[in-house]
Order: sequence, then structure tokens, then C-alpha cells
Amino acid sequence: MSERPTFSPFWHRVRAMTPRLRPHVQITRQHYRGQRWHVLQDPSTNQFFRLGPVAYEYVQMLDGRRTVEEVWKISLSRHGDDAPTQGEVIQLISQLYNSNLLTVDATPDVEQLLGRGRERLRKSVQQQAIGLMYFKIKVFNPDRILAWIEPILRPILNRWGLIAWAGLLVFAIVSIAPYWEELRLGIESTLAPSNWGWIAVVFVVTKLIHEIGHGVICKRFGGQVPEFGFMLLVMMPAPFVDASASWAFASKWRRIAVGAGGMIFELAIASVAALVWISTLSGGSPLVHQIAYNAMFTASLSTILFNANPLMRFDGYYMLSDLLEIPNLMQRSTTMLKHLWERLVFRVRDTFPPSSARDEQVILVVYGIAALVYRIFLFFSITLYVMGKMFGLGLVLAVWTASVWFILPMAGFVHYLASSPKIADRRGQVVFTTLAIAAAVSLLIGAVPFPDRRYGEGVIESPGRTGIFAGVDGFITDSHVRPGDVVREGDPLITMTSRELQAQRETVEAMIRETESLEREYLTQSHAMAQIAREKVATLREQRRFIDDRGLRLVVRAPRDGVIVGRDPTAAVGMFVREGTFLCELVDTSALRVAGELAQTEGSWLFELPRESFKVEMRTHSRIDRIVEGSVERIIEAGQRELPHPALGVGGGGVIETDPQDRSGRQIKRPRFRVDIHAPGVPIGAPGERVRIRYTLPDKPLVAQWVDRLQKIVQGRVNI
Amino acid sequence: MSSLSRYHALYESIRSRQIRPEVHKGLDKVVGRAIMRFKMRGVTRSWLRTQAERVDLMAPELRSVSADSLRSRVEQLRAVFARGSQAEEQVRTGLAVVREVARRETGEEAYLVQVMGALALYHGRIIEMATGEGKTLTGSLAATLIAWKRRHLHVFTVNDYLASRDARSREAIYRFCGLSVGAIVQEIDEKDRAAIYERSIVYGTPKQITADWLRDQIRLGRTNTAWAGRQTSALGGGPRGPISGPMIPGLSAALVDEADAVLIDEGVVPLIIARSRRQDDMAEVYLQAARIAAKLDEGPDYSIEHLRRRADLRRRGLVRAEQAWSEFTEPIWKAARRAEELIRQALVARHCYVRGRQYEVVEGKVVIVDEYTGRFLPDRSWEHGLHQAVEAKEGLEVTADRETLARMSFQRFFRTYPLLAGMTGTAADATSEMEAVYQRPVIVIPTHRPIARVESPARVFKDTESKWIAITDAVVEAARAGRPALVGTRSIAASELMSRLLDSRGVAHKVLNANFDKEEATLIAAAGRGGDERSGVTPAITVATNMAGRGTDIKPDAAALAVGGLLVVLTEMHGAKRIDRQFMGRSGRQGDPGQAMVFVSLDDELIVRHAPWAAAVLRASPGRVECRWGWLGRAAFRLAQRRSEARDRRSREAVLRQDTWMEKYLPGT
Repeated sequence: MSERPTFSPFWHRVRAMTPRLRPHVQITRQHYRGQRWHVLQDPSTNQFFRLGPVAYEYVQMLDGRRTVEEVWKISLSRHGDDAPTQGEVIQLISQLYNSNLLTVDATPDVEQLLGRGRERLRKSVQQQAIGLMYFKIKVFNPDRILAWIEPILRPILNRWGLIAWAGLLVFAIVSIAPYWEELRLGIESTLAPSNWGWIAVVFVVTKLIHEIGHGVICKRFGGQVPEFGFMLLVMMPAPFVDASASWAFASKWRRIAVGAGGMIFELAIASVAALVWISTLSGGSPLVHQIAYNAMFTASLSTILFNANPLMRFDGYYMLSDLLEIPNLMQRSTTMLKHLWERLVFRVRDTFPPSSARDEQVILVVYGIAALVYRIFLFFSITLYVMGKMFGLGLVLAVWTASVWFILPMAGFVHYLASSPKIADRRGQVVFTTLAIAAAVSLLIGAVPFPDRRYGEGVIESPGRTGIFAGVDGFITDSHVRPGDVVREGDPLITMTSRELQAQRETVEAMIRETESLEREYLTQSHAMAQIAREKVATLREQRRFIDDRGLRLVVRAPRDGVIVGRDPTAAVGMFVREGTFLCELVDTSALRVAGELAQTEGSWLFELPRESFKVEMRTHSRIDRIVEGSVERIIEAGQRELPHPALGVGGGGVIETDPQDRSGRQIKRPRFRVDIHAPGVPIGAPGERVRIRYTLPDKPLVAQWVDRLQKIVQGRVNI
Repeated sequence: MSSLSRYHALYESIRSRQIRPEVHKGLDKVVGRAIMRFKMRGVTRSWLRTQAERVDLMAPELRSVSADSLRSRVEQLRAVFARGSQAEEQVRTGLAVVREVARRETGEEAYLVQVMGALALYHGRIIEMATGEGKTLTGSLAATLIAWKRRHLHVFTVNDYLASRDARSREAIYRFCGLSVGAIVQEIDEKDRAAIYERSIVYGTPKQITADWLRDQIRLGRTNTAWAGRQTSALGGGPRGPISGPMIPGLSAALVDEADAVLIDEGVVPLIIARSRRQDDMAEVYLQAARIAAKLDEGPDYSIEHLRRRADLRRRGLVRAEQAWSEFTEPIWKAARRAEELIRQALVARHCYVRGRQYEVVEGKVVIVDEYTGRFLPDRSWEHGLHQAVEAKEGLEVTADRETLARMSFQRFFRTYPLLAGMTGTAADATSEMEAVYQRPVIVIPTHRPIARVESPARVFKDTESKWIAITDAVVEAARAGRPALVGTRSIAASELMSRLLDSRGVAHKVLNANFDKEEATLIAAAGRGGDERSGVTPAITVATNMAGRGTDIKPDAAALAVGGLLVVLTEMHGAKRIDRQFMGRSGRQGDPGQAMVFVSLDDELIVRHAPWAAAVLRASPGRVECRWGWLGRAAFRLAQRRSEARDRRSREAVLRQDTWMEKYLPGT
């Protein structure tokens, strides 16, 4: 049950007044979720006010003759409990009066008027200060320009125009699809510094067209567009128009159309640019080609990322809000979350949801959470991005935004805890709950250790590489292995034949036989001669053994376990090789090493922690399912300006920025640490293959991890 | 009165009404205070002392001056002050001369500390002067200078008795200084008031003067220029005809006695001017609501929050109430929300408003009792049917509902004065609020003589009965010793209970509460009488509500001083420490001996409402009737007091916030 006391102690302030709506106030009827509402609009100041049916009836009855109290009594008799309470009437009158929608019979109080003006100025200054990320500068009133453009475009500002637009869009997408690869490659040249100027120009122009889109459609449906200016979106000037006149449109589709107008125009530009880009793909001015790409890029990407995004207060938000028929979506979802928190966590009784409809509540909750998460994400990404580009400015921006988005609400919350009348009767419990939650959270992030993981790149290297050479001269008859084959010690690799050896053996064999027969002869004749022959046989036998040894070498065997790398021996089958000819290489898998790379700012822990305390795990890019554990063998402390392998650099397909001037692809811009990682006995992969390395540091509370990382970012930026 | 001065009054009045003091919020509040302090940094205690010493140096010379030449000096100074800006030296001379005038006219020579105080007041500060240090004299010195400078000065006192007493006792000084003086009290008829307000110095209570100001505002309607006002027929004059202007010719300077009571304690309830509505059919409705409320049971049907004075109907209660009111034919019972509000109101009237505490029934009428001063507020009534609900509960004739015509918080009213100065015995506790709300720094003026009052530590009892027994014992003992005693109670009901207890012990005493306020002056005058066994004179034992807490000057006689001076007994702690200190300050004035005793029990409203868990802890602590751990008990009571002070502060802030909001965002004034 909501608390709505009938009487207000301040009733006497308004009771006898005879106010009425100002004559120039325009009224439109709108429907929101099946309910009728009335929007009051003051065209001269563009102030809006939305009223429910009962309140509208109340305001309608104020005709300048009846007093506030008389009207209230009529309302009471008609609507009973649904009639506004005295407090609500006071609220209503003050809001209408302060929006300049109501005249009161009293002589205007100059001091109050001036005070109101000052207040408004102060508020707008305050808002500007709070929204440093989107700073607004008003420039001029574009209404006359739009009034001139709108009739020209009128013939296509209808559903046929929309269908034609959709057709253009589909056509552009279909025609560009085959050039996907070129499209992808184009990003590189687009992001090149030489193109930045063009990007900026194209951005401003497309955004101008975007705003004209809003303005023209707003005018098309009869709205005024009194303001044009620039908004500094993270330092990037983005034009804007004030199309809030559309809020008073009766049809929600028209309101959505005005919201979508910018995107419609911009996507049309993107489509045309895509077609231009395709036509200049082979031949044509490279500048036109690039500009077309720029236009396509900014007009589509920025539109989809920013304008269409309903989580920020851009076009998408207002469109969604109209589509769902929930005005003030952002504010009401915040109220909803606050209400839920108060009800569920603080168990406050006097809190009421901003809407009583179940489905609307669900939408508000979902949207509220999404917007909150997105806001945090946006804060971190924008801040880190700007810090990366301009450290000082980024820092200022970060501090400012942090104070506006986090510290101010925090202070507000403390103030709420200390003095909100809502929780007056259970302040103790609420403060206790808050402290308990705060304690739990700080314990979780400040004391409970969490795994701390750092990531790096690496490349497989092998210190133990053995050349396989031919042991004797001969023809290669057979090869048993191919590169990449894993062999064990003694496995045959290559078989050769050598006629020469065979002949030699046969000769020696014959000589042995001959000498043996001689020996037998001499045995009867001369003892001495026999002795000589016997010795000669021994020599010849020795010689035969030698030849046999060489013959064994005809089968080249693996000297140890390893992997065959280098030249493919199969290619040499049939070839004659001399002794000592290089055949292939054998890499010692038991001694594979990974050369890891860490940016200097990332790797300071390498020197702080003992090597046993962290774990190193690796995955090759070829087999991402297999994780190999290793250990750090050696850390090269001094920053290295050269990569161990070009595969790590951008040029070699890696991620480390290299010096584009350098042909070897190994010179890097910022010095890095080198870590040699050893994984004994495990075949990681082929040498020269890139490896993703995960270092698991000892568990550490999250806060310590964040501080560590933040320090690194700061260090890294400051050192540039 | 001349038409010109009428016009001038109108002009000043309208000018005053257009002053809209800013109320800062959040950070602005902190900054605002810092700026204020910087702006007002000049007047420090040491500066005041050197100035006062220099004033003192002029005294011997002035003492020998003849009356005529003193008069001519006064005339000169008056002219200098009226011209506006004047140098510190002239202020010193002025002060020295007025001091001499006061010495000659009343025989009281201001002490150095009083001169310091007067100077601080002249510079628009809130000063703290210990009770009995002669605030009246200090005030009159400052009042003369301020009235010279600003033409009109309103001096605020806590009650009518003090207003007329002070106006009368100071008249000689003011007259000598060329100033006229008057007092606005309840009895003075409205048509005679304008003439009194024309005088240079007007004494009165905040309620009287604020109400007159508000009546002026109603009469002025929405007029916001003097010229337009001149033409308004409501002011009694046609076009170019004679103008009957407002009663109060603008608000130019205010000197507030008991500043904390006036500026802070009374800030909770705004002043309301109301008139009866002719809506006789409602009387029956309130009686019906009271009947339904009587039938419901607390617990299953409804719950009461005493602190917030609100009742919540539970489901069962709502069903039972609905059944009950469905029999009634009055249209209001058809609207469920309004009907429920009526029942809740009847429940609040039943449980949160107690006869003898919040109100008293006098001659068949409900009269509100001011919770801070213990006095009747005969013209006031609660709003929106609460008054009627209480009448219905008491079974009295239900009066017509009154509708508010105008309303103003005292905070708002006092902030309108360009010059606001105040004095009190207990301002230091309220420094932050004085600074934040009124932009007035607080200066503590040292005492003339060291305080010789003995303040016994509070005794904490486990239940009310043992407390009352102990109090009675203490009073009886004092009476036997021939020592005068002042027993302070928080409510009329308690004062009557005390009286019965003393009767049962055969102790002669007098009761001072709102029911006997006619005898106030005589009772106070006699309250310092010591007993004398030989002559058979019994010591004065006075049982009083908070009425005696402010501005009453009890002078113990020689017999009383011989046995240790006045004994002040507090039978309960108040919602704010300042009020306790005020009451204790009735004894030990001007370095006299005296004693203050405080008795509290765990059943006291203060601890039950504001720190019930502390009461529970104490109940379990050692001691059968009295807590043996007195220190713990005192700490608990102090905590409860702090919480109650914070609560009151918040409701005052809320009043001020609402006021500001109305002014800022609603059309008209």
C-alpha cells in the first residue's frame, strides 16, 4: 500500500490560486502501455511535461476562474481515491509553474524568476561538468536550413522511401560480400596515421548528415528543431541537433522514426560508399577509394556501435524507450533497481516500484542491470584507451569520470544512509547491512587469494640439434623417415648401398683365402714363412672387419631420440653421397626450449618471485587442446630489443609490434624480457612454432592483482 | 499615525518579505559555513576582551559627568549611530555611555564580561553566557546600540511574563537613551499592536511577533511593491486614500534571549495561522473513528510507532475497521483511503497523545502543552483533524476543523532579519546548527565568577517507582535541612504526581505548571527562600515543569545560601542536553553555591524511545532498584539523548527544506 496522505500542510499556499495553462501550450495525446497520457509542450522553450489521465483532467479544469481547491474537490468527487492528493496537486502545480507551462494570477515575483534562471544556469553548468565525456557546445538554430531541405527530401520521406532505402542497404551488403577479404585488409590502411585526417573529416561529415537526418524527419512530422551544436565525445567533435520536439508526437512510430532518422541517413551513406569502394577496387583514384572506405567504415560501424546502442543515451535509447512505451527508461530502471535493493536487502517498507505492471518491472530490471554493466565496461575501456593515447589527459578524464560516476554516487549513498527519511526507523540495520556487505566484498577482493595469471608469447627453440651425415660414400637406396617423424635411438633412417665397399670386401676376402692357403703350404715348408702368412691373415681380417664396420654405416641410424627436421631425406633416394654429406637433422626433443617474451611492464614479477613459485603452462597454436607444463630455466634481465624468432613479430603472424623498417622482422619497438622455458621430456611441438604461455603466479587477493596491473599500465605509459 | 510613516512601514514590510535566505545543501553547506566563518573571523573572544577593557577605561570619567551632559552625549551618539557606519571607537564610546546610563538608572554596573557580551551581540553573534550572569543587562546594552543603529529592534523572550517584565525593568535605560519600548503580549488587542510595533524596541515572544508578521502577510496578499500595496483596498485604503499599513514596520534587527530555545527547539513546529472551517458534519465522523479505534486491539489489528507518531493498520485491523465503517452513512466513509487515514489518526490520537503530556483539558477544551516550555498554547491546534481526533477521544465536543491560512517556520522567520543576535546559557551544544541555519557563529563569554554549583552524577533506577521514591527522599531531606529545592518534571502529569508524593510525606510545596501559570511570578520570587527552624519558616519546595527552566531568576536568600543554596532536582532527562543544563542552571547563579541532582529510570520515555536495547542491557546489569554501574547507565542515557537530539535536528532540517522548496518553486509568496 502506498502512502498518499490526503492532506498537505502546505495546501494554503496554493488553495486560493486560480492558475491556468498558458495559452500557447500545445497538448498531444500519447499512449503508453495501453494508458492514455498527455504531453504538454511549450514550443518557445521546448519544455515538456507528461501527465496521466487524472492529472490531465485536473489541469484541464484549471481555467483561471476556479481555484485550485475547487478543482481538487471536483476531482475528489469524480475519482475518489484516485484523485490526486493535496501534496500531489502542489507538486504538479509547482512543476508546471517551473516549466513555464502555467500562469498564476499573482504578480510575477521578479526575485523568484531570476532565481529560477540562476538555478537553471547552475544546473546546466553542473551537467556539463559532470558529463565531461560529452561536452556540448551550442552553435546556431538550424530550423530555417532544415525548413529548406525538408521539402526537397519530402518525396522520399515516406514508406516508399523507406523501402527503397532498405533495398539499397541489402544491395550494398550483397555486392560487398564477395570482397570480404579485401574489406578486411583495408582496415590496416584505414588505421594508418596518414589516414587519420581523412577519417576525422569523413566522421564529421557523416555525422552532420546523421544530424540532418534527425532534423529533416523531425521537421517532416511537424516538429521544431531549435538547436544545432557540437558535442565533444571523448574529444571527438560530434554534431547534434535538438529534435526533442518529437517527444510530443502522438504516434510512437513517428517518434521512433525521428530517432532512427540519423541512422537511416548514415547507413544510406555507408551503402553508397560501399558501392563506390567496389567500383574503384580495380583502378580508379586511390584517394576516392580510401575515402569511400572511410565513409563506409565510420558510417556503419559508429552507427551500429554507438547510435544504435540503447545502453547509452543516444538514438537507440530513445528508440527503445518509445518502442517499449516506457518513457524515462534509464531513470526509472535506476529507481527500480534502487527500490529492489531497498526492499530486498535493506528490508525497507516504505519503498515503491516506479511501475506496478509486472512486465514493465521486468524490463526495467533487465535494462537497469545491462546499462549498469555497460557503463562500467565503457568507463574502463574509454579511460584505458584515452590513457593509452594521451596519458595525462586520460588520467584527468579517468579521475573526473570516476568521481562523477562512482565517488559522487558513493557520497550520495553515504548521505542517504545518514539522513534519508525512508530508512529513518531502521537506520541501524541498514547501516549494519551495508557495512556487512562492504566488509564481505572487501574481504573477497582484499583478502581471499585468487589465482593470478599472466599471459605471454613464446616460440619453440631447440638447443640440441644434431646433423645426420652420410657415414660412407654410397648411393641412397631407401629413406625410412620424413621430417617431423619422431625416432628413437638406433632406428634406421636411411639405407645406402656402396659397390666400392662390396668390392673392397670381396678383394680382402679373396686375399684372406689366398693367404690362408699359403699359410697351410708354408706350414710344412718353413715355419717362419707360415708365421708371416698367419700374421698377414690377421691383418687382412682386421681390414675386413674395418670394411664391415663401414658397411654397417650404410644404414644411417638415429644417434639418439629426436625428431627429424631439415631437408627431407626421401628426396635424396638414389643419390650418390660422399662420406660426411649432410642428410638431415635430428632435433633432441628431450631438450626443447621455449623462448618466452614478456613486455617489460608485464614481467617485473619475474625478478620478484622465486622461480619455483610460479607455474608455466604452454599451448601451441597447432594443438590448442594440449597443455604442456614447463619451468623457467633462465631469465634475461636486460630488456631485449630483438625477438628470438620473427614468428613472434607482427610480420611473422605474432602479436608483438616490430619495427616496420626492419627486414628481419625481429627488431622490436620496446625492449622486452626474455624467459627461457624448459619442458624436459615432453615434445611440445615443432621448433619455430609460436606458443601461448600462461604463467600462474601464487594466488593473490584481487586488489593486489589490480594494483599491480594498474601500476604496470601507468609505468608503461609514463616510460614512453 | 501619519500616513507617511504608514507608507514607510508598508515599504519596509514588503522589503522584508522579499528577503529569501538561501539554504545550502550538501557540499555547499560546508563551503557556506567556511565562508561565513571567514567573514565573521574578526570578532574573537580576545578581541572582545581588549575592547571591553578599553570601554572600562572610560568608566571613571563618565561617572563624574552630570546627567545633562550625559544626555547630550547620548543624543550625539544616537545621531552618529543612526547615520549608519561607525568606527569601533564610537561603538566603544556608545557602550561606555550606555553602561553608565544603566548604572545610573538601575544601579547595576555591567561587568567586563557583560560588556564583552553586549559587544558580541552588537556584531550579530550568538553568545553563550552562563545562567545568572546577567543576560538581561547585557541584552539591554546591546539593544540600545542596535536600536540606535537600526531604528527598530525586536527582543525575543521565551514567554509573555518575561517580555513584559524585561520591557518594564529596562524602560528607564532606553528612555534615557532616547528610545521607546513596548511589549507585545497575548492580551494586547490587535488594533493596539501597530502602535507598539512603531516603538524602537519591542519585547515579545516569537509566537506573538511571528503571528503578527504572518497576519500582515495575509493582509498584504500577493502585493509585492509598496506602491501596489498602497492601492490594495484590503489594507483599508482606496486609491490614494489613507493607508492602514501592516502592523510590523519591517524586520530589521532581532535580539533573541534564550536563543537556543527560540531558534532551535521551537524550529520543529512552524507557526500556523488558521481559521475555523464550517464543516459541522465532520464532528460525528471523528467520534465514529474514535469508536472504531477503541474497538481495535493493538498487536493483531495495528501497530504503533511512537517515535514517528504513526499507526499502521494490519490486515485484520483493516478488515474489522471496514466492517465497522460500512455501517456509517457519512460520505467520507465511502472513500477507502480517507477512511483508513481517519482510523489511523484516531489510533495515533489514542496512543501517541497523552493527557498531561502533549495536552491538557481545560474548561472542556483540548489545550496543547508546549513540550519544551511546559506552557499552554491556547490558540494553537493540531492540523488535519488530529485535534478533532483527540477531542473525540476525550469525549469532548468536537470543534470544527481549522484550515491553515498561512504558515511559517521560525527558522525562516528569523533568517529574514538582516541583523540577528542571540544569547543563551547553552548555545555551545547547538553551534553547528546556529552556524548552518542562521549563519551566526557562537561565542562563549567567560563567567564573571567561577561556578560553584555541584552537579551530582545522574542516578539510574530500574523502574519508575523506585526513582520517584528516591526523588521524594532527596527532596524530603533537603526540606529537613531547610534548603530550598526546585523539582523539574517533564510533564504536567508528572508534576502532579510529584506533588501527591510530597503531600504524602507532609512536605509543604508549591506546584508551578501551565495550570497555575498565573502564580508564576510569586512562586519564582519565593522559590529561593531558605528554611529557618527557629522562626518556623519552611524552605521553598517548588515542583515545576519546564516553565521554570528558562529565564527564571531564583535568588536564594541568606538562609538558603548557608545550607548550600538551591537544590535542583531533575526527575527525568530531556530530549536535549541543553534543556537539562538550562534547568540545572537555575541554581548556582553568579557564583552562588548550589546543587543539581538528576534521577532517571529505565522506564523513562527518553531511553525507551531512543535506545531500548541499552535499557534492556541495563536492566540485566547488577543492582536491584538502582543500577550499580551508574557510569554505564549515564552513558546509555547520554546516547539516547544524542539520538533524540539528532532526530529533532533532522525534523527541523525537514521543516526548513520544505519551507525553502515552497518558496522557491511555488508561485506567489
